[in-house]
Amino acid sequence: MTSSDPDVALMLRVRHGDNDAFRELIERHQRAVINTIHRAIGDAWEAEDLAQRVFVQVHRSAKRYKATAKFTTWLFTITRNTILNEYRRRSRHPSESLDALQEPSDPEGAGWQAADTSARDPAQEAVERELQEKVMEAVRELPEAQRTAIILCRYEGLSYEEIGKVLGCTVSATKSLLHRARLTLKEKLRGYY
Amino acid sequence: MVFNQMKGKDMSCQAFTEQFDERLDGRLVESSQAAFDAHLASCADCRREWDAYAAVWQVLASDKGIEPSFGFAERTLRRLNDPQIAVHRWVWWPAWRWAALAATVMALGVGGWIGHERMTERRRAEAYARIQHADYLEDFDVIANLDQLKGDKQL
Repeated sequence: MTSSDPDVALMLRVRHGDNDAFRELIERHQRAVINTIHRAIGDAWEAEDLAQRVFVQVHRSAKRYKATAKFTTWLFTITRNTILNEYRRRSRHPSESLDALQEPSDPEGAGWQAADTSARDPAQEAVERELQEKVMEAVRELPEAQRTAIILCRYEGLSYEEIGKVLGCTVSATKSLLHRARLTLKEKLRGYY
Repeated sequence: MVFNQMKGKDMSCQAFTEQFDERLDGRLVESSQAAFDAHLASCADCRREWDAYAAVWQVLASDKGIEPSFGFAERTLRRLNDPQIAVHRWVWWPAWRWAALAATVMALGVGGWIGHERMTERRRAEAYARIQHADYLEDFDVIANLDQLKGDKQL
């Protein structure tokens, strides 16, 4: 990786305390991070809160960041660890969600939006919403490693190698995870395709 | 599933289904892609399997995701000094660092144990030497067969 990679160039600026560069970095990746978390835990507000935590961790680790791997691989590794920490926290305190722990840090931040809900046939929209919910549910029910592999492959377009780095496994193990996840989804979504 | 013979290219149904993922992810090389397409055209069972497999991938695309709420980046910047967000540095350690740490701990443990054993052995030898030169023991015939005792590690 070289500084010709825009993310690496931004991280080098962040390392020197450039908050404008950090804002740009957030804006480039916020959607990917929020949606990765949202697909894993299913709650939009919590997804935003955890995504903010991910970016804060990125900022605090900027000095230790080495441009030896692709920035997104590093970012998704932090994202995955944040999700895993959230699972652990939930298993220790099953009745608590982040909503119960603290109020939104900024009242103006209320209200996330589903992507692209421009004027369409309401019936069609309802069918699509149902399908989307079914898909999200099926993905969420996958074992953690399979789910992460599917999300990173299908929605974020990461290569097998990059997914393997995020999950800490080999390329062949990644392929195997994806295959098993697809077979499970094929069963769970029967009737929707 | 049957074994299909196709115009100079053989591909079993099993070999065909094993390539589903790579075909779906656009990772088949050109020659494999041609064999895949040829098998797809000739085997109705496999075509049904493939259609279902590929359809699931399309269905997943129906999840368009959510858009970040307005001002997400600004709010994140305001949380940079939030003490509630702990930094779990250990979480980001790559596997090789954990392995190095484990190896170091093991090396220290083994080294400590070896050092302790050597020290004990040296003390034994020193004690033996002292006794060997203690003339009064011989004078009074306290120990008759000192060498034999050393061999039995009684000292």
